[in-house]
Parts: sequence; structure tokens; C-alpha cells
Amino acid sequence: MEVITKLLNNYYYFAAMILFVIGFHTMLTHSNLIKKIIGMNIMDTSIFLFFVSIGYVRGGRAPIIQEGAGYLYVNPLPSALILTGIVVAVSVTAYALSLIVKLYAHYGTMDADEIAIIRAREER
Amino acid sequence: MESAIFNFLPIWVVMFPFFMSMIILIISKRSEKLRDGLSVATAVVTFLSVAAMYPFIISGEIISYTIFDILPGLGITVRVDILSFSLAAIASFVWMLVSIYSIDYMSHEHGGDRYFPIFIFTLGSTLGIFMAGDFFTLFIFFELMSLISYVLVIHEETKEALRAGYKYLIMTIIGGLALFFAIILTFELAGSVSLNEGTLIHAPSTLAFFAFLSFLVGFGMKAGMFPLHVWLPDAHPVAPSPASALLSGIMLKTGAYGLIRVVFHVFNVSVVKEAGWDVLLGVLAVITILLGSAVALTQLDLKRRLAYSSVGQMGYIILGIALLNEKAMVGDVFHIFSHALMKSTLFLAAGAIIWKTGLRNINDLHGIGKKMPVTMGAFTLAALAMIGIPPLNGFLSKWTLGLGALEAGAPFYVVVLLISSLLNGLYYLPIIIAAFFGGEHEEEHGEGVKVKISEASLKMIIPIAILALSCFAFGLMPNNIAFELSVKAASFLFNGLP
Amino acid sequence: MSLHLPVLIVVLLLAASYTVPLLDRYRRGLTLPVTILSLITAFISSLYLLYLIGVQGPFVYHLGGWPPPWGIELYIDYLAVYMLIVISSIGLLVIIYGAKDLLHEINEEVLSWYYTLYLLLMASMIGIALTNDLFNLFVFVEISAIASCGIISAKADRRCIEASIKYLILSALGSGCILLAVAMIYMITGNLNFDYVAAALPEALKLYPYNIVIALGLFVVGFGVKSALFPLHVWLPDAHSSAPSPSSAVLSGLVIKIYAVALVKLLFRVFPPQIFEAIPILDVILFLSVFAVMAGSIFAMVQDDLKRMLAYSSIAQIGYIFMGIGLFGGRALTGGLLHIFNHAMMKSMLFLAAGLIIYATGIRNLKDLKGIGVRMPWTMGAFAVGAFSMVGIPGTSGFISKWFLALGALDLNRPFYVAIILLSSLLNGIYYFPIIIDAFFGTKVDPVSEFRDVPALMLIPVLILAAGVIFFGFYPKPLLDLVNKAISF
Repeated sequence: MEVITKLLNNYYYFAAMILFVIGFHTMLTHSNLIKKIIGMNIMDTSIFLFFVSIGYVRGGRAPIIQEGAGYLYVNPLPSALILTGIVVAVSVTAYALSLIVKLYAHYGTMDADEIAIIRAREER
Repeated sequence: MESAIFNFLPIWVVMFPFFMSMIILIISKRSEKLRDGLSVATAVVTFLSVAAMYPFIISGEIISYTIFDILPGLGITVRVDILSFSLAAIASFVWMLVSIYSIDYMSHEHGGDRYFPIFIFTLGSTLGIFMAGDFFTLFIFFELMSLISYVLVIHEETKEALRAGYKYLIMTIIGGLALFFAIILTFELAGSVSLNEGTLIHAPSTLAFFAFLSFLVGFGMKAGMFPLHVWLPDAHPVAPSPASALLSGIMLKTGAYGLIRVVFHVFNVSVVKEAGWDVLLGVLAVITILLGSAVALTQLDLKRRLAYSSVGQMGYIILGIALLNEKAMVGDVFHIFSHALMKSTLFLAAGAIIWKTGLRNINDLHGIGKKMPVTMGAFTLAALAMIGIPPLNGFLSKWTLGLGALEAGAPFYVVVLLISSLLNGLYYLPIIIAAFFGGEHEEEHGEGVKVKISEASLKMIIPIAILALSCFAFGLMPNNIAFELSVKAASFLFNGLP
Repeated sequence: MSLHLPVLIVVLLLAASYTVPLLDRYRRGLTLPVTILSLITAFISSLYLLYLIGVQGPFVYHLGGWPPPWGIELYIDYLAVYMLIVISSIGLLVIIYGAKDLLHEINEEVLSWYYTLYLLLMASMIGIALTNDLFNLFVFVEISAIASCGIISAKADRRCIEASIKYLILSALGSGCILLAVAMIYMITGNLNFDYVAAALPEALKLYPYNIVIALGLFVVGFGVKSALFPLHVWLPDAHSSAPSPSSAVLSGLVIKIYAVALVKLLFRVFPPQIFEAIPILDVILFLSVFAVMAGSIFAMVQDDLKRMLAYSSIAQIGYIFMGIGLFGGRALTGGLLHIFNHAMMKSMLFLAAGLIIYATGIRNLKDLKGIGVRMPWTMGAFAVGAFSMVGIPGTSGFISKWFLALGALDLNRPFYVAIILLSSLLNGIYYFPIIIDAFFGTKVDPVSEFRDVPALMLIPVLILAAGVIFFGFYPKPLLDLVNKAISF
């Protein structure tokens, strides 16, 4: 029972973990490169959500400080960090996609297994 | 002031050949004559420099100092005591003679430009082993010598040579790694690997046993001890004969030298006795002796037979260490001298025959003694010394070894010595008899063109003759220099400084 | 001025990397000098930093003047400076070599972009070495991941592209793990600064043990993937063998090690020692490193492509470094860290030598290399020195690191690991020596009809590295002092 309440109280962490595992699994098991990249993005997003949820304070406002107003603010640091994280993830995605385009031009497929087969055939 | 010069000598003796080998490498492109001359000159100067240490060493002094530290407690150190000196002297002596022999031998082999620098470089690293002041320095030179002499082994670059060389190289790596293990264990247990400490490990333990075992593998591999001898009968015959003479005559002894140092400096006699490791050594020695001699009988290739004979002879030397008493050690050190002289004589003589006739098979050597009397005479003298006929040096070393065995209360070893002498007789005498008294296989060469075989050139014969005569000289009187050095070395090992 | 030096090194390299493409448009001839000059400056600055911390001890630098816990902090200690020197010296030598080699490996239009990526990679590695902030670490890790993939895919060859996407995906996986671990640490400690986290963790370990254990596990997996620790090494052979030779040299020589160093910093400076009692993470690393050492050597033995063999050998060698980490407590970590520099020298030299052979003859297959030593005595001589060092012949630097690793194993009374080290050395000998033998001795088949002479500018870095291997084999004292100070956490 206690476990379930704990989970329910921390459901956003839980959701982030599920997303992380989905992304991780997709990246490792799918041979389609585009799907791998999608998995990578799901994984990254899960971490971003996780990070942001850490910084969230229930009932808090955006951290634009007004002197003397006495509002509760959310922690701005995770959001700021995640902004950097998103930039990094986008650039990795862009780079990966450009590589996939090139690979497609060379092999005519986006499937890692098929590429391996083509290469093995050529080397023989 | 005087000792400063002597302190300088060991470094000089090691560095001079290294330096000269570079010069020879450069000069060999210009002039072959200069290359040969420089090689001989280097070997002669080195020998004289080693000999110059004699008065200092014989007075019981030890040259010992550190050149620089590589790691804390681990550096390049020099240490010359009477045992180091003895081995360095015989090594540089034989090297000098072989260098003269090499000139003509290599003149119609390819790759002399490679051979001579390597030849001189190996001299430096071998002397480095003998003059090392700790096991780390010894290890460096040991690896250097082992790796460099690979080039000597595969000099002919035939398929066979390369195969043998590969075997040699892998065994060398294994031996080197075993030494690494042994040295690091010693360092961990004792905090030092210096030879100056007297005894590094004072009590047997499991780790100490591993250290001993690894030393045994590392040095035993080089010494051609059973069951690590497998590379030796392949590697020694394929090398050019002067190189085989050095490989068998001198470089094998570095392994024996290492084992002596291990028994007396890493451990000491009582530790080895207490742990019962001498039994292990003894058993391995006996197997090595009998196996080497027995397999030599079955070999038809002259140099291969000599190589197996080396295995057997190294067994004597290991046996001498295993007996752990002073008398046996005298015989042991003296046998190092004797075997160096005998085996290099035999290999050089075999080389002269092969050089002149191209014959390697023992069955083809009928009547060769009449054509090449001096070469075969030297061969006979050395072979008789191998068998242990008095008054040759082989007899003297076996006699002292036998006395040592009796003193150790192990007459069984004397029987082994006798059996192996018998076997030595069985495989050497037929060669001699056939060479001098056998009829010739005249028509084997076909075409009716009889190749006129005569003695090899003077530059080759003189070293052989000197070596053979020294076999004779060192056996004739029991008070010769070599014997005296052996007695002093043994007494030094057992009793410390006189 | 000198106080800003740590960040200036990174900034300088970053600035240079962005300047190079601009220069490419207007003054193409200047791109290479700018690259080399900035790396020389980085090298000299590293040496000056070494002098500086020798005088005043390790110090922290607050980026933008913001003190922690808000600002990013750089921590300049001996470990960081050691890595700085390794990275800038090897990086400099490799790019000098690359100046000529790249002309024939990649298209001329992308040449200056290659320099950009190269400088970016150097900057990010230096950043990883210097930073004292978890998130900053992640950012630098990501930059170096993209840059290192970039210098592989710069070669317009489909094998390179395939290798780099494989590398990129696995690397992104590792980055994900690292970022998640960072998030978890931040969640329980509320800090990203190493020192603050380290101060908070012992207390937090009692409250949230699982979070910390999971974070530690994720860090090990993340950095393990990036530094090709054994079961996570699958990307390395393709990536390192197909890349242009200078890329292979820095990837094998530097990049995989900087992640190991990052892990060292995290394990021993951030995580409390109690955690090693809670979970046997060091034993896991040790276990994996044994597999890495053996498997890498065995795989290397069966390769017939020269660079592929070298790549597998790197897997084995990174195993030594992790073995040093796993045997923490004795002198093994000294050996592991020494091996970072030693292996950086050896492996980048071997890759550059392989590159020279490919440059001169176009041969990659080991079987075709017979007699190459006669044509290229200097190159193969350097190769032989590297091989001796790999085997651990005394007098080469590889011996020194093996010596300390073995001593460390004995310190902890685990002679088994000494046996592993020796066994793998033997395997190294078995696959390296035949190459040298074939190169110098035996059948003198003329290797190729067309033989290009190697420019001196390419040969010199290789020879300098070979000389370094021998020099530090006989005189390891300066390195050793540095490393011993670096591991006094």
C-alpha cells in the first residue's frame, strides 16, 4: 500500500521513468534508424520532464521576482538547464538525421540490419 | 681515485658496444672492410676493458653504484662481483674470437650490414645482464638481448628460420612476462630488487614460491631447461654458425646466471633448502640432462645435434645450482666456462664445415677429417671435452660437480652424470670416427666434378683453434685462471666476501 | 589575467574553432596556422597552469564571477592539469600530422570544417577535465560526442557515415544515462557543483540510497559506453578503424580516456566512500575490465585490417585504465592514470603510423604488409616501439604503467589480476610482433608498385611520439609525480 501511495505521490517521476525506458528500448531494439532517433528524442524528453518536475514547486509562479509580493516561485535552475539540454538534443537529432540522409543516399535504405547485410554481401 | 676508473669501466663496457653498433650500422653502407674491422676492434676493446677489471675484482672488491632511478627504489644500477666478472670475461673472450670468425663467414652470406651491428649490440646487452646491479636492470638487458638476438636467429630468413624465430620470440615474451611477475612479486615482498641486499626474501611463502617459480620460468626458458627448451633446438641450428656459437655458448648462460642470482640473492641457500625448491630444480635438471643427451642421439643434422647437446649441458649447470653446496658451485661456474668454450668450438667448427662443403647431415661427413684436419681436430678436442675425457676442461667440471653431488649426499646425481657422459660419447664419437676413418662417399655429388675441399680460411681457423686449445689448457692444470675464478666465485656466493 | 587562464583555454579553442570557417571563406591559407597556433597556446597555457598550481596549489575558478552554488565552477587540480597536458600535447602532434594526411582523406571543401570540429573536440575535452559542475560536464560531454562523430563522418565514405551514426546513437544513449543521473543527483541534493554534491551526499545516502545507487549505475553505464568499456564497446571498432587516421588517433588516444577521467572524478570526488560498501561498483568495473582486457586482445588477434586491429587493441587498453580504477586503494590507480598518457602516446602513434602506411601504399590488410619495413624503416621502427610498449617491454612507457597496475593488484593482495595483465601482454605480443616480423624480415615481396613518399611533416609527429614512449619509459618521474598528486583526492 505504502509503495502505491508513494508512486501516486510521485507519479510524474514514474511517468518520466516509463518514457525513459520506452525511449531506451526503442533506441536499442529497432533497426530502423529513424525510429532509433525518435526513441532518442523520447528518452531525452523524459529526462527533461523529469528535470523540470524536480524544480516544480506546487502552487509556485514563474520566477520573476517581485519585491515584497511574497509569492511562491518554482525553482528556475532546472528549466534553465533543460533549455540547454533541449538545444543539445535538437542538434544531435539534426546531425543524426543528416547522417541518415547520407546513408540513404548510399544504401537506399534506412534500416541498420539491411545496411549490415548489404555490406556483408559486398565484402564477400 | 683508482676506484673511480673501475666504477666507470662497467658502464663503458656496456655502452661502448651500443655506441659502436650505431657507428658500424652507419659505416657499413660505405665500406665492408671498415665494418668488419670496426666490429673486431670493438669486440677486442670490450674484452680488454673487461679484463682490466681483473686486478680490482680479484682483490675481493665489488663495483656497485646506481646510475639513475627510473622509479623510486628501482633504477639502473651496476654491480660487478667475482661471478659477474667471470661470466663477463668469458662472454667477451668468446665474442672476440667469434667476431674474427664472422668476417669470412659472413662474407658470402647476405645481410652482413645487419649482422655486425646486431652482433655488437648483443655483446653490449649480454654484458649488461652480467653487470646489472639489480633484477630490474638485469631484466631490461635480458629483454634487450633476447629481442635483439631474434634478428641473429632469423638471419637466413628462410621459412624454417622464421618459424623457429617466431617460436623463439613467443617463448621470449613468455619468459619476459614471467620475469616481470617474479620481479614485481619480489619487489612487493621485499621492497627492493637489488643484488646488494644479500637476501631479499627470508622465508618461504606462497607468494615467494610463485616468485621462485616465475623466476624459474623466465630464466629457465633462456637456459633451455626442460620443459621450456622447445625453442632452443629449432632456433640455434637455423642461425648462422657464429651466432649459434654465441647463442649456445654464451646467451644460454645468462639464464643460468639469473638462476644463480635468484638462489643466492633473492633467496638464500637455507630458504631454498627449507622450502625444498632445490628438489624441484634437481628433478628438472636431471630430466633436462637425460632428455637433451638422448634426443641429441637421434638427430642427424650436425647443428641440431649440437643444440640438443647444449640442452643437456645446461642441465649440468642447473644441477650444479640445485646441489646447493660450495664444491658443486665451483664445478657449476667452471662448467659455464667450459661449456662456453667447448660449445662455441663445436659450433664454429660445424660452421666451417658447412661453409666449406654445405653439408649439414652427419652421414655425409665421412672422411671430412682428412680434408679439414685442423677444423676436425678442434672439433674432436671439444667433443672429447664434452664427453669428459681427462685432462680436458669438461672432465674437470664434471669431476667437481660429481664431488659436489657426493658432498650433498646424492650419489644418484653422479650416476646421472655418468649416464649422460656415456650418451655424449655415443653421439659425438661416431662423428669423429667417421670423419677421420670413414671412407668417402665420392660419387654422391654426381657429374663427376669432384669438389676440392680444403681447410677454411685462416681467419676462421685461428679462432677455432684458440678455443679448442683453451679447452685443453683449462683442463690441464687445476690451478688455471678459470678454475681459480670459479673457486672464488663459489666461495663468494656461499661465504660472502673473503 | 592568469586567474582567468583556465577558462581562456576553453574559450580560445572555441573561438578558434568558429573563426576557422570564416577564415576558410576569405583567407584559406590561414586556417591551419590558426588551428595549430591555438593548440600550441593551449599546450603552453597547460604547462603554465601546472607551474601555477605547483606554486599556489589547486584552485577554483568561478565562471563569470558567479560563485557556487549558482555559477559554474572550474576546478584546476593536478588531475585536470594532467589531462590538459595530455590532450593539448597529443592533440597538437596529431593535427600537425593531419595537416598533410587529411588532404587525401577528406574533401578540400570540408577541410576547414574538420579543423572546426577538431578544435571543438579539444575544447570540450579540456572542459570535461576542468569542470566542477555536473550539468556543465554533461554539456561538454555532448559537445565532444558530436565533435567526435563529426571528425569520423568528415570523410565522405559510406563506411565512415555508417560508423558515425552507430557511434552517435550509442553515444546519445550514454548521454541520456548521464543526464538522468545528473537529474537524480540534483533531485536529492539540490546542487550541481561537485563539492556541494559531495558534501550533501553522505547525508542523502541515508535517506535516498536507491536514487544514489541508480545514479551511480547510470554514470558508470553512460561513461562506460562512451569510453568503450567491454560489453559497451560495440561502436568502437567501426568508428576508430574507418575514420581518417588523425581522427582515429585522437579518438583512440584521447577521447575514450577523458570519459574514464570524468568517471574517476565522479567516483572518488563526488560519491562518498560509503557507497562502495553499499554496492560493489568497483568490483563490477574490475570484472568488466578483465573481460575488456582479454576480449579486446583476443578480438584483435583475429583481425586482418591494420586499423581495426588497433581499434580492438584500444578496447583492451581501456580495460587497463578501468582496472586501475577498479583496484582503487593501492598503487593501481597510479598505473591506470599513467596508462592514460602512455596509451595516448602509443595508440595515437600506432594509428598515425598506420596512417602513414596507408598514405604511402594504400594497404590496410595485414597480410599485404610484408616487407614494408624495408620501404618505410622509420615508420615501422616507430610502430615497433609502440608494439614493444604495448607488450610492456622494460624501457618503454607501457612497462611503467603495467608495473604500477601490477603493484596495485599485489597491494590489494589480488595476484590474479597480475596474471591477467601478463596474459594480455602475451596476447599483445602475439598479434603485434608478427606484423613487425613480416615488415622487416622474410620474403621480400615488393609491397606495391606505386609508392608515395611520406612528407617529413607527417613523419615527425610519429617520431616524436616514439621518442616520448622511450623517454617516459626511462624517466617517468615527472609524470609519476604529477599522477600521484592527481590521485590524492
